[in-house]
Formats: sequence, structure tokens, C-alpha cells
Amino acid sequence: MTSLLVVGAGLTGLFAAVLAARRGASVTVVARGRGNLELSHGCIDVWKADPPLAQTINHLPDTHPYALAGFEALEAALAAFCQITTEADYPFTAGPEDSLLLPTALGTIHVTAYAPLSLAQGHMADKTPFVLAGLSGFRDFYPALAASSLKRAGLPVEGTVELPVPGAPLRRDGYATDLAYLFDRPASRQQIARVWKPLLAGAKRVGLPAVLGLRQSSAVFLEMQERLGLPLFEIPTLPPSVPGLRLERILRRTALNAGVQIVEGVPAVGQAGEGSRVRGVVVESAGRSRFHEAGAVLLATGDVLGGGLETTPDGRVRETVFDLPVLHDGDRARWINPALLDEQPFERFGLRVDRHMRPLGMDGTTVYDNLYAAGSLLAGADRINEGSRQGIALVTAFCAVEAVLG
Amino acid sequence: MRKQSTQLLVIGGGATGLGIAWDACLRGIRVVVVEQGDLGQGTSGRYHGLLHSGARYVISDPVSAQECALENAVLRRIAPATIEDTGGLYMACPGDPADWPDRWLTACRQLDVPVEEIEPAEALRREPLLNPQIERVFTTRDAALDSFDLLHMLTHSIRAGGGQVWLRHRLDRLIVDNHRVVGAEITSLNDGEKIILEADLTVNATGPWAGLVARLAGIEIPIALGRGSMVAVAARLIHTVVNRCRPPADGDLIVPVGTVAVFGTTDTHVEDPADTRTEAWEVDKILKTGAEMIPSLPQHRPLRVWAGVRPLYRPEQADAEQTRALPRAHTILDHAERDGIDGLVSIFGGKLTTYRLMAEHAMKVVCRHLNVTAPCRTADTPLESGAKSYHTLPGRLARVEPQAPPETPPQIICECELIPRGDLEAALRAVTPLELDDVRRDLRLGMGPCQASFCAYRAAGIAHETLSSVPQDGGLGGFLQERWRGIRPLGWGHTLRQMELMRRVYLELFAAQDLMGEEAAQ
Repeated sequence: MTSLLVVGAGLTGLFAAVLAARRGASVTVVARGRGNLELSHGCIDVWKADPPLAQTINHLPDTHPYALAGFEALEAALAAFCQITTEADYPFTAGPEDSLLLPTALGTIHVTAYAPLSLAQGHMADKTPFVLAGLSGFRDFYPALAASSLKRAGLPVEGTVELPVPGAPLRRDGYATDLAYLFDRPASRQQIARVWKPLLAGAKRVGLPAVLGLRQSSAVFLEMQERLGLPLFEIPTLPPSVPGLRLERILRRTALNAGVQIVEGVPAVGQAGEGSRVRGVVVESAGRSRFHEAGAVLLATGDVLGGGLETTPDGRVRETVFDLPVLHDGDRARWINPALLDEQPFERFGLRVDRHMRPLGMDGTTVYDNLYAAGSLLAGADRINEGSRQGIALVTAFCAVEAVLG
Repeated sequence: MRKQSTQLLVIGGGATGLGIAWDACLRGIRVVVVEQGDLGQGTSGRYHGLLHSGARYVISDPVSAQECALENAVLRRIAPATIEDTGGLYMACPGDPADWPDRWLTACRQLDVPVEEIEPAEALRREPLLNPQIERVFTTRDAALDSFDLLHMLTHSIRAGGGQVWLRHRLDRLIVDNHRVVGAEITSLNDGEKIILEADLTVNATGPWAGLVARLAGIEIPIALGRGSMVAVAARLIHTVVNRCRPPADGDLIVPVGTVAVFGTTDTHVEDPADTRTEAWEVDKILKTGAEMIPSLPQHRPLRVWAGVRPLYRPEQADAEQTRALPRAHTILDHAERDGIDGLVSIFGGKLTTYRLMAEHAMKVVCRHLNVTAPCRTADTPLESGAKSYHTLPGRLARVEPQAPPETPPQIICECELIPRGDLEAALRAVTPLELDDVRRDLRLGMGPCQASFCAYRAAGIAHETLSSVPQDGGLGGFLQERWRGIRPLGWGHTLRQMELMRRVYLELFAAQDLMGEEAAQ
């Protein structure tokens, strides 16, 4: 019997597992896949919309996850996150006035709240001119494309340069991760820096795709800066995105070190118990079913993309573990707006929860006393336009753990 | 303003217009084709991929049936590279009219459309996913034909034969002088240049736009527009074209095309030739009828929808809303005889399969006006493929994975369709101004399961490295929006997950809202 069973191993699930385990709870994480961190920029978006969240939070609809959680809980959750990552030697920094303006691989500006050091050094407030570097044979980052828009946005781009990567595997389909593994090896770093240094002579600062190591990423980044004698900054690439994977790796390791048991690659089926309690989940593994009994269950299975919600052509939206009621529109023709850039109704589908992150039925009462949900599975937010995805993940995980452990 | 003259002006660069121009070239006539978009942007490119055997129309439209049967054999001779000889099956499912197969078989025999009955067990051995309840099955000479490739070959042949094909040129006005069309005013959409093109004769081969073009000369022609929608499923579920052996109805056709299977089509009356929307009910209907033929269809992922608009001649007594009932045969109108306006001929209707015959018929009228006596040679002259290597998957694979691998393997830009970087660069250079959607039609960029979620960024990046003048976003905003449009009616299950993935990458990871919005607004 585990005291908290978390379903899902993305940012929400892993963060909740770490918090609960550090407070002494026995925690098991059951996950079907690996979450969506590899698709993310690896930063913590909290709120990019105007006015700032501190002024807005009291005016949000009371179904919005931030309104349910409250500003204090958000600050506590962010502080806990920063402490965890700092202890893991992958510190996140906040910008002045709580926002960082970071260049993207398309040459746009990503507004975020917290970023790891290597990304944060690209902050627009830094007026030091920089060169954008592409890596030979790497198909997921194009400095000319980024430079064209960044120049127009007023960033001090001095030009672009192509850097060869000695030792890079010659592949038809090389990914950012292939390069990152290379930078994890000390001998490769030494060799690459020797080749790069003369090519970067005269540059005052260099922006390059985020491939500088997956394992000891801060140390690798700092070492490369020192070897090149230049300030550097990284820009996240097309997925697999290395900064997202670094964060996943750190959270996973921290969880394991704190005693969390992680069961991967298995779908979970919820088991209801007596009265208004759940007993745990059953997972199918290696040809047999195994029941995991739990004092409480936290669903961190994500939304449509994450697999927490399943949609069918008849207009139904199913929560995949406990078949909980999902807030959605029953007419499929209204799920998706015609323009890719429009707000998309289907992205607001999800579970309604109370202030303790317990899912609610259509009548507004909690479905089970010891079942919780957090992260992108929750209804009521427009995460893309608000720039709120990771903030919601962290604070709702935080509130759920608080509610479970009391 | 530039002035130019030609013997024959063909408006419309679909299969009909290009077919006419090629026929004219072979008879020694100077010809210019003017197309408002890219090759395959209209009805010719928006089709199901079927080379008809004729069997579909033996009862409803015997003339079309016979023409299809003849032209099927001709196209196999003159454009074999565009055809995959899949063969066809006609299957009668439980509940289909019991007397139909025998009536149909008799009609096929009378019209010399080759068909042969086989045992249902044999059909199931060939195509195991078919409904095991099928009652009767027949083989036919249906096949898959890539219309993009056909249009490319026609264009190449015309240019090699001394004709001109102007893509992205808009017809502004027909010049009418004393009841005679003497040419047209045209704007190049590439550089905005205005051109006056004088022509001895003008052919209106603009498909669903034929009514609008005729109106520029003050002529009304009765056209009904029928929109047909199709759904591609992300797996090649069958290797044979499959038809339902019953009166033609919505969604009773499946064509294997490359790596996918195309299910179609519907027939809905529309008013606007540019109305290529697909509505949810059409998708539901196509997939429901498809599942009667392939019961496991609901387990497969629908990949993409598209629609084409058929121009159908509407005799005065016919009901404009019932487009399915209108004949599929083509119509040629000599406006000198019909309307007293000289120098203009309109042609519309017909099938892609019969484009060559339609051109031959139209050229009879053209030759009479131009006093040309040279005979038609298109049925015996193979089309030239030029340097272009056509994108069959085995061909792609052979180039990407050669027997003796080079030291530096070619970088793959689109994993779904195996597009090497070199091919993309060449295609980008060939399209000015940059339109990634044109590159797509050329290379199949972004047409696979991820619907450009990954290759759109790469193509935009390579465009910035390869070309001197590129939109700020490398053209990806418009390209992704077009992809979004075609998957939106299929937004559930894995396709909806794919759609959210596309938004997460471009709007969260790349924060491209403003950039893509700006370019779209221009």
C-alpha cells in the first residue's frame, strides 16, 4: 500500500511525487508514457497576459485553476520548484519584474517567468551584441530564419555562423538529443571547443541551439562558456527539446532519490472502493494485471495530447483512468476553430475540481474523497494564450499534495 | 503593360486545359496556358486518385462509361509513370440491391467494359480487410493515377513542344471587340506585371470557374457545381481500387494512393467554385459507408480531408440541387454558334480519366476555327516526364537508401514522405514567390501523418538559407493553416492529439502567434 499513487510522469506528476516524498509519504508513480516535457521549452510559463497575474487572479472565473489554488499557493509552489532544481544543480532564474523575454528558434520572443541559466542568458534586456550559430548537418535549428525576425524585433544580432560538430553522428535524421549526448562527454567538449574558438573570434556573445548536454547540463554549459571565453545562451529547438528533457531527467532523479517508485509503460485503470473512496489502480504489465492499492490517487495524465482525455467522433470525451465527468461540448463540430491561431475550445476541456483539486461531478460535488487531479487535465484555462501551462501544473500539483498530506 | 500574341489561349491549367494545349502543340499551333494558381490547385488536383475503368457509369451514364474504358487503355500507353496498376474490385455487400450486379454485368458486357466475376473467398484472399459478408465480387481495370504527376508531365511536354504555361497568372478581363473575343488582360501574381495577350482563339477550360469566365464575355452558361469530399486514412488498407456494386452513392469508393487509402466521395451542391470546405456530416457519411466495405476502418486514423468542385452541365429541366443525378460527360460550347460571340470556346465537365478525349473533342472545334487540318496525335504520343523523378515511395526509398551508401547520407527533412534536403532546395528555387503549399504539391511535403508539424519549420529554415527574398516566417504560417484546414473535420482521437501537438510546438515552444498572424494578414 502506497500513501499517494500518482498517475502520469510529466511535469505535474513528477513534481507532485517529489513534494510528497520529501514530506515523508510513500509515493508510487504509474505512467503510460513519458509526459510531454520533450515537447516543451523547458521553462516555467506562469502568466504572459496583461495585466500581471497578481492583479488579475481575483478577477479570473472561479473555475480557473489559478483562482482555485490562489496566489499564495502559486508562490509557494514556484519557490519549491526553484529549490528542487537548484539543489539538482540546474538553477532556474527569474527575470526582472518576473518576466524573461527569450528568443525562440523562429525569431519570436517567448515570454516566460523562470528559465534555466543557459536559456535565461538570452534575455532581451541583455544588450550585448550576439552571433547566432547553427550546427552543420543539424536540421532542427536555422539561424538565418531566427536572425531575420530577431533583428526586426530590435535584438542586437550581429550575424550568423555555421559551426561544425566534430564527432557528431552522420545520420539522415539527427536530433537535438544526438548532439546533447555528444556534449555530455568531456573529450568531445574539449575537441568541439577547440574547433569552434577560432570560428567565433570577434564575437561578443553567441546564441546557439539548446544541445549543450543532457546530463550535467549546467556544468557543461559553464564549461563551454569558459573554454570559448564568451557568454553563451541556448535556444530550444524543434522537439525532442533538450531543455524539456533535462527538466524531466532532473525531476525523475530527484523523485527516485527521495524514494518514489516509478512504474512505466503501463496504462492504469482506476478501482473504486467502498462509498466515496477509490482503492487504487490496476496496471497491465508483462502479461498480468497488478493492483496498486493507495491511500489517495492523483491524476496527472494530461489533456487530449497527454492522453488523459480520449475523444471520439460521436462527440464524447472520456477521462481515461476513472471515467470521470469531463467538462466539454457534446457537438464535435464546435471543438475546433477554423484558424490554427484561434483559441481552440477543445483545449479547455477537462475536469472541474474543488480547491483541494478533487474532481467534481456535474452536480458540483466531489466524486471521490481521496481522488485528486492536477495539471493540464484540469478544465477552465486557455494555457497557450495565457502562457500559464507550467504555472498551473506546479500550483495544482502543490495544492493536491497539500490536501493529501494535510 | 506588356503585349504578346498567340494563336490559341487556354484559360485554366487543369488536366483539360493542359490536355488541349498539348494536343495543340502536337498540331503545330502556338499556345499559351494561363493558370491562376499552381499546378493541381483546382479540381484536377483535388480528386480521389482513380483511373476509371468505366464500370462505375455503365448504367447511369453509358457514354462516360465507354469513354472511360477507352481512355483507361490510352493513358496506360502514354503516361504509364503516373499509374499504379492496382486493378479494381466491385463488391456487393449485404443489403445492396440484389438484382443490381446482374444488370450491371450485362451493361458492362454491352459497352465492352472488361469485368470478370470472382469468388468472394478469392477477393478476401487478395484483400483480407474487406467485409467477409460480401456476396458477389467482380474485377475491373480500375487503377490509381497521380494527377499531380500527370499535370507535371503535360506541362513539361507542352513546354518542350514550344508551348507556354503561365502559372500564378490571373485573368482580369476578356477583350471583346465587335462580338469577338480577341484576347485577354492578365496579371502575373508573381511580380504584378500586366499583360495583354492577343489570341486568335480562346478556350475557357476553367472547370468550376467556367461560368464566371464566360460571363466576362457576357455569356451565361448553365453549370451546376457539385462538391465532392474525400478522406485519406493513414494506412494503405487495400492494394486494389474497391467500388461498391450498387447505384453510385456517397462514399462507396476506396483508392489506394501511395501510403494511404482514399475514401470518397460525397456530392453536395455548392454555389461558389472556391467552396472546398468539408463538413462533419460528410466525414461521418464517408467513414460510415467505408466501414461497410472495410469493417476495421474505425480503428484506423483518418489523416486528412479535401474536396474538389465538379462543374456539371445542367440541362434546363434538371434540378440544380441534385448534382449526383447529372451526367458526368463533358460539354463543349462553341459560343460563335450558341451566343454569336466569336473566338471563344468553353469546355467543362467530364472526368480526369477522359481529359485527353475531351481535349481531342475540343480541338476539333478549335481546328475548325483556326483552319488547321493536322490530325490529333495525343493518343499515340507518350508524355515526357522531363528530369523530374516522380515520388513513388519505392523510388524515394531507393534514393535515400542507395545500395552503396554515400559518406554523408542525405538529410531527411520530412520523415513521413522521405524528402531529402536536396530535393527540397531544388523545389524551393523553382517556386517564386515562395509558397510552401506549392512545394507540397511538388514533393508531398507535409502530407504524411504529422501534417507538417515538423517539416514546416525545417522547410521555412531552409528557405531562409536558400532564397534571397523570403517572408519573415519562411511561409510556414500560411502552410500550417492550410494543413489545419484539412485535418479540422477529422478532429478527434489521434488526429486531435496531432492538432494539439502542432499548436504546442508553434504557439508555445516557438511563440509564433504574432509572426504567423502578421504574415497571414499580408
